[in-house]
Amino acid sequence: MKLMQELDKVYYFMKRDIISFSTYKTNILLSIVSALFGALSYAFWGANASMPSVQNLGMPVVTYLLIGLAFNTYLSQSLTLVQRTINPWSLEEVLVSPTGLVTFIVGSSLWGFIWSTLVIVIYLAVGVFAFGVILSINIIGTIIVVGLGIGTFIGFSMIGAGVLILTKQGDPVTTIITLATNLFGNVLFPISVMPLPLQIISFFVPQYYFFTCIRPMLIGQTIGTILPDLGILALMCAIILPVGYLAYSWCLKMARKNGTLSWF
Amino acid sequence: MTTPDEYSIETSNLTKTYTSKIRIKNNKAGLFGGGETRTVAALDNLNLKIRRGELFGLLGPNGAGKTTLVKILCTLLPPDGGTAVVNGFDVAKQQMKVKESIGTLFSVGERGFFWRLSGYSNLEFFAAINNVPRSGRQQRIMEVLELVGLKDKAFEVFQKYSGGMKRKLALARALLGDPPILLLDEPTTGLDVTSSRNIRDFIKNDLGKKRGKTVLYTTHYIEEVSQMCDRVGIMNHGKIIALDTPEALKGMAKKGEVADIVVKNMSEAQVNSLRGFAGIAGLAAEVQDSVLGQTRLRIRLENVDALPSVLDFFFREKIKLVNFRQEEPTLEDAFIELTGAGASE
Repeated sequence: MKLMQELDKVYYFMKRDIISFSTYKTNILLSIVSALFGALSYAFWGANASMPSVQNLGMPVVTYLLIGLAFNTYLSQSLTLVQRTINPWSLEEVLVSPTGLVTFIVGSSLWGFIWSTLVIVIYLAVGVFAFGVILSINIIGTIIVVGLGIGTFIGFSMIGAGVLILTKQGDPVTTIITLATNLFGNVLFPISVMPLPLQIISFFVPQYYFFTCIRPMLIGQTIGTILPDLGILALMCAIILPVGYLAYSWCLKMARKNGTLSWF
Repeated sequence: MTTPDEYSIETSNLTKTYTSKIRIKNNKAGLFGGGETRTVAALDNLNLKIRRGELFGLLGPNGAGKTTLVKILCTLLPPDGGTAVVNGFDVAKQQMKVKESIGTLFSVGERGFFWRLSGYSNLEFFAAINNVPRSGRQQRIMEVLELVGLKDKAFEVFQKYSGGMKRKLALARALLGDPPILLLDEPTTGLDVTSSRNIRDFIKNDLGKKRGKTVLYTTHYIEEVSQMCDRVGIMNHGKIIALDTPEALKGMAKKGEVADIVVKNMSEAQVNSLRGFAGIAGLAAEVQDSVLGQTRLRIRLENVDALPSVLDFFFREKIKLVNFRQEEPTLEDAFIELTGAGASE
């Protein structure tokens, strides 16, 4: 009887979680899509590891992968910076203070950026000292590319945070951007290994331009070599950043209007 | 729109409606959808004026609309209709000015703190975002910590604070900018008796009498507003249904008499017989001392003329009268009368 009683409790714990989980429909869908896309990304890498396009990257494979992984981590951090500020309770406390939205976003994100930058230094240091990766950094070029990348991703992050304020769990924007980065972003493999229709998608993804630009800057090439791609990245940043701000403001306004700001 | 200097807070036909989707068991759509959309008027054309320096209590059952009103007044929620003016500033149009005029404490205010920071570091952050000048910030933080009795615990990590200390720190946070108006939403909910009393005393004596702050104090604890507030508004279904001094509100309770009687050796059957007496509007009985066989009866009489027949019943049934007391109607009686609901405490 005691066992049945305990099993009954276990059942109700599980039922509680299923009901709660089922209310976050967006999250359920995104989990499934993430699994499919994640598998696809590594399948491309594995299937093409020995192909000439992967062997002929213009730099050693380890350098290519190291920069891809290090900056992918950096962008992933940037992508969730604004979302991580959405603690519903402290959000209310901040919103009742005479503090503007821009100050709130910048102030809440700054340490995250600094920490992510330190992490990237660790990544690169491990590559240099443990794997003999040779880097020759074009400092100005790197700052420009990283600045544009961060601007773009902060824009995405604000859109994602806005959606999260409305959906409460499961932010499709962040998930889609992460998936798109892994698959179409030139992170782990050059897009030339993918079928043509997928390659075309890459050209609409800012991550592709970011990774196409950052690698040459870390192996000592000049800004002139990346100018066309850098221009497109700058244009995307100029569009996505303000759109992100407007989207975030609008979603915040809606949550306040509906009284759902602290419903997490 | 401007408010005359007389009023710190003024609302006019303030309206807020919530729409929510609810799930019903056996609903055709089940777990993943469907349900029924319901609209609830949290505030229904609410009109309220709170004078400068007034300690105003807002009393109401759960869901009456108290927290919604506070959230609108602090600009967290936009109203759907009507106007709300705080310290002369419109909450919809002059949000920054309103925010500079108020200090707010939410009923779950301690969740807005950063638990791994000390009390001092928490206040340092909130002082900065509330425009407390950097030069006087440290002094102001220590002042408010001293005011609420937390100076000695300033550098302890917040997560080690007791419930009472957390609430006091929330109060200290509301005071940081030295605002003229304080919106305190159920500040004593969940606290023990001593902590509640300390906070009430501080609000009444220090903030109210000594510093002349305007305080909007929402609660569903009747005794709190009865003891400390200048005026009390009773709220239900998004409306103020009564507004006056605590004493005047008590007078609004249905006229009648309340007899509080302790008797010995009275059976349940005798209690039921008494219930059927003419002139008895209500009777509550509880065992007061089972060893001594004492029962406490709280009898609401339609008028005092019914009392002799009750006493005569005790005499006939040989029920010993241990204690007898006639009472004035309380604020609780007024509250129940007006809202048609029992209060929490």
